[in-house]
Parts: sequence; C-alpha cells; structure tokens
Amino acid sequence: METDQRGVELVDDAVVHRFVHAVLLATLLGAVAPVAIPLPFSPAPITLQVLFVFLAGLVLGPVWGAFSMVLYLTAGAVGVPVFAGFNAGLGVLFGQSGGYLWSYPFAAALIGLFVHRGTDRRDPANASLPVVVTALVAATILIYGMGSAYMSLILELNAWEAITVGALPFIPGELLKIAAAIAIVRSGRLSPNRVR
Amino acid sequence: MLTYVPDDTLAHRLDPRSKLAVQLGFAAAALTHTSPRAIFALTGLAIGILAAANVSPTRAVVAARYALLILSLAPLLAAVTLGPPWIDTDAGLTTALASYRVLLVLLVSTAAVRSTRVRDSRAAIQRTIPGRPGHLLGIGVALLFRFLPVLRTDIQTIRDAMAARLGTQRRAHERAGTIALLGLSRAFDRADRLSLALRARCFAWNPTLPPLSFSRPDIPALLLAITLLCSTLLTTIPL
Repeated sequence: METDQRGVELVDDAVVHRFVHAVLLATLLGAVAPVAIPLPFSPAPITLQVLFVFLAGLVLGPVWGAFSMVLYLTAGAVGVPVFAGFNAGLGVLFGQSGGYLWSYPFAAALIGLFVHRGTDRRDPANASLPVVVTALVAATILIYGMGSAYMSLILELNAWEAITVGALPFIPGELLKIAAAIAIVRSGRLSPNRVR
Repeated sequence: MLTYVPDDTLAHRLDPRSKLAVQLGFAAAALTHTSPRAIFALTGLAIGILAAANVSPTRAVVAARYALLILSLAPLLAAVTLGPPWIDTDAGLTTALASYRVLLVLLVSTAAVRSTRVRDSRAAIQRTIPGRPGHLLGIGVALLFRFLPVLRTDIQTIRDAMAARLGTQRRAHERAGTIALLGLSRAFDRADRLSLALRARCFAWNPTLPPLSFSRPDIPALLLAITLLCSTLLTTIPL
C-alpha cells in the first residue's frame, strides 16, 4: 500500500464538529428507514425519513443539512442498506422512488435557508412559527413534487395518476410529521450550540 | 436484505468504478430504450450481470420486493380511465413495460451491492470526486456504515422503552416526535464524542486510501458501460 508521504493537513476543528453531526444525522435517517407504519388504502407506508430531512435543515442549516442528505444518498448508492426496507444500490436512486430521494438535499437546504436566513446558523427555536411552518410546507411540496414528477416520467403515468399514487396517500402522514417537527423545534432541546 | 458477501466471482474482481459505470450505463439504457426487442436484450443482460455476481434472479427480486407493490399498482392505475372505455389497455401496457424496466435497473444494482465492499466503494468515491468534498463523502460513508447498527440499536431501545411506558397508546405525531428527539439527542451525544476522538487522532485531509486498480476484467465491463451509454445518446440525440 502506498503511503502518503506529505505532511499531515489537519481538518479544522469546527469542520470536524459539523461534519460528524451531519454524518450521524444521515446515519439516523438510515436507521429509521426500516421503521414503517402501514397506511390503509395506500401503496406506501409512513416512514420517519422525511421528519429527519426536516430536522437536517432545521438543526444543521442549509450547507451541512444538504451535505448530510447527499451523504445519505451516496451511502445508499454504494450499498449501505439505508433506504426503505433495508434496500441499497444505485438502482434505487433511478427507480420509481428516486425523485423523492433526490429531493432530500434540496429540501434540507430550502428549510435551512428559510429558517436560518442564510448560511450562518441560528437557533431554530427563535425563528417565528409562520417562518418554520412555511419552510416545512415548502419542503414537503418540493419532496412530493419532485417525487411525483419523476415517478410520472419513469413509469409513463400522467400527472394526476402520479400524484394519486405518489403524493395524495401521504398527506395525512406529512401533516403529522410537520406537527412533530414544529414541536421538536419549539421544545428548544435542539439548540445549535450543540452543533457549533 | 442483500449486502456484500465475500466471494470470488467476476463481479467481485472488478474495480468498484467499473461496476458504477455499468450500473449507470444500464440505468440510462433501460430508461430510454422502450422497444420490446430492447427490453428482451436488457433482460438477458441483467440475468448475465446477476450471474456474474452469483446472485439468483429470484433472490434479487425478493430483495427488491418493497418496490414491487408500487410497480405492479402503477400499470393498473394507468389503465383505469374515468369514463368510457374505462380500461385503456395501451396506457396500462406502456406503464407495465416501464415498471418492468425499472425492476431490471433495481436487479442490476443488487449485483453491485453483493459484490462490492463498502471500504472499496469509499476509496472509489474519494478517487472519483476530487478534493475535499470527495474526502468528506468517502470518510462519511465509512463512518455511516460503522454507526448504522449502533443507531439502529438506539432507536430500538427508545421504541422498547416507549412501549414499556404505554407510549404506543399516544398520538402518532407525539410518538414520531419522541423517537426523533430522543434519537437525535443520543446521536448527537455520540457525535460529540466521535468529534473529539477524530481530532485526538489527527483527522486529516490527506489520509492513505486502500489501494484500487483497474485490471484485465475491467476492460470488457467498461466497454459494456460505454456501449450502453452510447446507445442511450444515439437514441436521445437526433442525428
């Protein structure tokens, strides 16, 4: 094995700290992926994944939140079983659910930009409730918009068919997740001081 | 669940970058070629790729079972129309073929998952994506792989503790919120300790990576990937 002979170029302490928190949040997203609550009359169960996409944007901010999501997708693509149902592989990213997965980094970045008003992080507990609600609703629309659009493209469905199978059944579950995310933020137990 | 299994198949001997190229080429070809002849050829190719990784097609379909529900529901939904003639067979058939092509893409990626170690994939990421983003992604994948079972156990512990305290009778959003909040606090406690440990061990931008090199079997794999990508380009770009 060829050893790198150059001097050691240490990673900045602040970067290490944020990077590790982003990694653990991506891991948590993979850890909750198999937790699925079946929904009657729906082809897909509720999973907690989208709640952690919300939390990535809220807690880590737009840059590290998006990085965390890109890391989650990369890990799944190379074979770590982090996608729903312990699945993995590049094929999942190009499969019928690929649109939802590709939207995660954008959704986390969008929430981060709304709530943190830029790339500097603030305590999400101090953000006004309408701002948090708008950010979460916009991110949900983005996730389901990209998910349904991709599904319609890949399975050659028309827009309404794709929305019927890929978005409508999830609306009750998503409202619950938005409520849960707001309760977590307002509890003040996730101060960004933990993720300096 | 289909994960890496040590073996000595052709797919195991390939460089992870060749396998990535073949998967991308196959996905691009499967999503653009819609004729029955092309689908027949892609099916043969998918079976060949699975054989090269010693994965039985049945095992691969079982691994992709979560996708099957939506893939089988989509053609029915496409076929049903509101108003006469009520059933549009052509639309249903088109979507059924599209669903089948998506299934082939999922099956081919199981061959790569079974034959590629995560540490090799990590090295491939760091060699393919230049600079610091590639380095962080590579290390991140390695750490994620290490911590996944730990955090799964954490989540299970939280759910067991909730069940023991009748937490399962609470409203759905409270349950989801409790799992998320406790899961995140535990994960961030671990992150604090891991961050300290990494800094104590001189976490650097220029570590020594596991060796990776292209060998003779990679040549046909890369040629296959290039052929598939070219066939896609020829279909999508009018000459």
